[in-house]
This record gives sequence, C-alpha cells and structure tokens, in this order.
Amino acid sequence: MYWTGLSADEARKFTAGKDKSKKDKRTTLKEAVKKYVKDGDNLGIAGFVNGRQPISIVHEIIRQGRKNLTLSFQSSGLSIEYLAGAMVLDEKHLSISRMEFAYWAHEAFGISPLFRHLAENGRIELEDWSNYNMSARFKAGSMGLPFIPCRSPMGSDMIKRNRAKVIECPFTHRPIMLLPASHPNVAVIHVQEADIYGNCRIQGPLFTCPEIAMASAYTIITCERLIDHDEMVRFPNRINIPFFAVDAVAEVPFGSYPGNCHGVHYFDEKHIPEFRAACEKFRKGDAAALKEYYDTYIFSVENTAGFIDRIPFSQIQHTQIIESGIGLAADSNTSRMKGDEGFGKAVSR
Amino acid sequence: MEKQYHDDFTVQEMIVVAGARTLPDNKVIFAGTGLPMVAITLAQLKYGPGIVPVFEAGAVGPSLSCGLPLSVGDSRTTYKANYLLGLNSAFELTQRGFADFGFIGGAEIDPYGNLNSTMMGDFNDSYQKPKTRLPGSGGASDMACSCEQTIIIMVHEKRRFNEKLSYVTSPGYLDGSPNARWNAGLAGQGPYRVITTKAILGFDDETRRMKLIATLPGETVNSVQDATGFELIIPDDVYPFEPPTVEEIHLIREVIDPRGYFVKKKIKQ
Repeated sequence: MYWTGLSADEARKFTAGKDKSKKDKRTTLKEAVKKYVKDGDNLGIAGFVNGRQPISIVHEIIRQGRKNLTLSFQSSGLSIEYLAGAMVLDEKHLSISRMEFAYWAHEAFGISPLFRHLAENGRIELEDWSNYNMSARFKAGSMGLPFIPCRSPMGSDMIKRNRAKVIECPFTHRPIMLLPASHPNVAVIHVQEADIYGNCRIQGPLFTCPEIAMASAYTIITCERLIDHDEMVRFPNRINIPFFAVDAVAEVPFGSYPGNCHGVHYFDEKHIPEFRAACEKFRKGDAAALKEYYDTYIFSVENTAGFIDRIPFSQIQHTQIIESGIGLAADSNTSRMKGDEGFGKAVSR
Repeated sequence: MEKQYHDDFTVQEMIVVAGARTLPDNKVIFAGTGLPMVAITLAQLKYGPGIVPVFEAGAVGPSLSCGLPLSVGDSRTTYKANYLLGLNSAFELTQRGFADFGFIGGAEIDPYGNLNSTMMGDFNDSYQKPKTRLPGSGGASDMACSCEQTIIIMVHEKRRFNEKLSYVTSPGYLDGSPNARWNAGLAGQGPYRVITTKAILGFDDETRRMKLIATLPGETVNSVQDATGFELIIPDDVYPFEPPTVEEIHLIREVIDPRGYFVKKKIKQ
C-alpha cells in the first residue's frame, strides 16, 4: 500500500499540530498559491465537471508553474484541461504526473482532447475510480478514517488497477470493498460566499467540496464575494466549510468562469467550445491555437480580472441572464423568473 | 385526437423517445449525463410527472423545466429539488435502496449488459497507454452496481456490441452465471432494458444474455442482429416499436434541446 498526498496518520498529526485560531485569512491568490502549492503536491480539485471549478486558482498555478502534480478529483473538465494544456505547451514549466479520478471530459461540450493526448501517449499515470469512490475517499479523509467501505464497483475492471480491496465483510460475510482515504496536500475550491476567517456558504449542489476541504492538509478558497462574519453566522446550518479547515481566502468574482457558478452565472457556451477547439487542434498536431489561447487569456494577464477583461461583456452578461440557480441569500429559495430558457409551459400532458 | 406520427427523425431523436417512454412513472430514477438526461427531461414533461430524477452531483427530485441541463451538476438540475447535498449523499441513496432505476450510457456493451466507458485496447497491459482513452466511469459504475435496476442507452453499432469488452467499467450480469451479481457483493438486480438506435432489448431470465424485445422504425430482426457483434436471443413475440409522434419530435427539437447539445450531434463513426 502506498499513499499519495498524506497518509491517514500523517494527516491526523499534521492537522492536530496546526494553528486553528479564528484569524483573518484574506490574501491574494498569487500569495496563496505561492505559499501552499508545491512541486510534487497532490491537489484536491473541487467542483464537479464544469460546475464551480476552481478556475482562477488553476490559472494562477499555471502562471507560477508547478511540476509533478498529482490531481485528485471525482469528475472534472476545465480545471484539468487547463493544467494539461499548460503541460503540453511546456512540460518544464508545469507537469502532471498522476491522476486519481473518475471522469475527465466536458459532458455536453464534448470529450477531453488533452486527456486523450496524454493517456494515449502514456504521459501520465492513471488510477481510475468511480465518482462515488473518489467522493467516499475524500469523505474517509474528512472523517479521520484510513478507509471507507463501499458497494461499488465490485465486479469492475477498475479494482484490478486501483488500491481498492475487496474483503469478506466481518458481519454479513459477503464481499465488501474498502477504499483508502484521500488526503491531498492542498484543496482548491471556489464557493459563492465566504467570510474573512474562511467559513464558506455554498449555493446549489455541494459536490464534494466540504469533504475535500476537511480531508486536505491545506485549503485555498476563492469566493464570488466576501460577506460579513455576522451575516455568515446568522445561519450556522448553512456553513458548509468551517473556518479552521481553510488556510487562505481570496475574493475572486468570476473565479469559476467560464464554467457554471450556481446562482451567479451559467456556462459560457461560446468560450468553453473555443478553448476546447484549441485543445482538439493540439491533439491533431497543431499547437498554434492552444499557445495563442494561453498567451491571450492566462500568461499575458495578471489575474482573473485580466482574464475576464478579454471576454466581451455581452457574452458574460448572457451567462448571468440564463442562470437559473437560486439567489445568494441564505434564506432565499426564489428562482430567477424564467425566460426563453425555461419550458414548463410548452407541453400538454 | 388521433396520434400523428413524425416521418422524418434522426436515430438519436428516436432513442430519446424510446428512453422516455420506457421510464416508469412514480419511480426514483438516477440519470447519467448525455442522452439519459434528455430522455428523462422528455419523460418528466410528457409521460411521467411523478418521475423523481436524481442527479449524482446532489439534486434529488427537481422539476426539469428550466431548460435542458448541460451537466448532471448544473443549476438546471436543482430547480424545485426536494433534497440537495452532494455526491456522497446521492450515491448513499443508491446503496440504501432508494434509487429504483439507474439510467446510463456507455461506449461498448457485451451480451450480459456489462458496459465500458474507460478505454479501448488491451487491458490490462495497455491500461497506462490505451489505444483510445474514454472519459472514465464517472458515476455510471456506481449506478450500475447499486441502483435496483438499470436502463442503458447505446448507439447500436457492431463495434460497440461485443462478446468481450476491452474493459468492464459498469457491471451488468458479469459472466452471466447464476447469482453472479450477488456473489460479487453487488446490491442491485442489474440491467433491465437496453435502448439503442435500432432496438429495445432486455435479458433472458435464465442465461442473462441479451434478447430482442422490439425493433425501432426502419429496422428488422435481421438488421438488428447484423449490427450486433454477438448472437441475440430472438423470442417469437418481437414487435415493432411505435414511431415517434409529431409532438414528441417537436418537444425534443424546439423545446428541450433546440441547440442540439445532445440530440443533433453527429454520431461519431
């Protein structure tokens, strides 16, 4: 058995020895990445496919460059595609050595061209799991347990090449599968609201964000907006990540753009295909478009504000208009009035 | 009013209609990304107002009336949801027995309903450098294992229907032996239907091998068998499936997926 990131015992010891005081953790993303993300780290990538992906943190990691990263996530699209694009353009600047994951593609926007490129050329080490497996592995990490039992996917070829163990359940005497906990070195997470201490309030699906934050040694949070601590603690039930599981907080509006951020904006249905098309050209042997994309949107800008500046405002505004998620107030459950996108009335039953 | 059938539709539109009509009302249906998501949207709109969709990113029992979701985790999956946490809570529901059906797709299928969505090529030798790498399991293997039954959507091509898979991602009836799933430790009963671009298929109760139930419009028993890389069980009561109606095609084209995210895409040859 080997551990990537921290072992269960190392993770416990690390957190027990950590300063957990309630202090102001605001910082710039540049500083946070510089301080917490190291070469060789196992990164826990939060979000789900292209929903609430930690894009601004990933762009900053790309600007600074890191090598031999292990990426742990259940399902992801843009975050991993961006890191992979940086790797294929200049492996000396940024490289991924290993992935522990369930799915890398973009759902409606298509498969991942750079996953095909990297895997089919044997450039990264893969450990396939299911979505529940990766989520449960983070959960085991967050629970302080070295493993968690799980019923799927026994019978699959996945368990021939990953670290899962099928044992006889000591109570039912039937086969049961055990998954090793995942403790990434750093969790990278984008949320809608946080306070200066790191308490986070998530809108819409939580994905596996709370578990990843609790399981990791360090957690970097970007938020759409910082809110007053007093406002945050008005609804203690709605705090999804507690302050002591967070090390750095940066207020970065549009921090998961061009993906979907629930209650804030929908997918940018122009920009995602534009980026993906550049990746597909690379896979087919033409690196020019991908290089131009990175020069334009990542390397020639300072931060997320610079990235967003390069996208037409009308295009961004459209993603806000078509967003159907509920508003950001903790006690709000009102959906945006439905316009052309909704189709509730169009049907006779 | 007399039913009007549409005479010009694509195979993907047909598969969505067939999927929507197959989903039973008043059941909890855990739906995967792609065509299952379109079909469950049509089903909830048109046939099954009591269908309770579950999406793995967390949404349980939403109303799919905010536009077609482009992801099983996007905002449109959460409108009027009855429960909304995250992936762990969604998959825990399947293990506990709360999900009646899993509704999933795959790239390759075998006679026992095992699915591959991981890689093409030689497993285990070329796992780290496969001939073709596919996106990976996502939640499909969890649904296939732990939902009580599964309904599978497949593009029906000979190269996708093989006696032996490159890689088993999502377990069906495994090797087809009696109690294979139970013996492997699985909780759910396994595949119920396979809905393809050519046919509706099920599984023989004894051998657990795939059997033909109905042919889709334009197909015959022979054309379906010819497009299948293994021998199908052909019972005497195979029937022609009812073609899509004008209203169903209208709903898919104009209302549910007007931009053609999932339905009008060219099927990769």
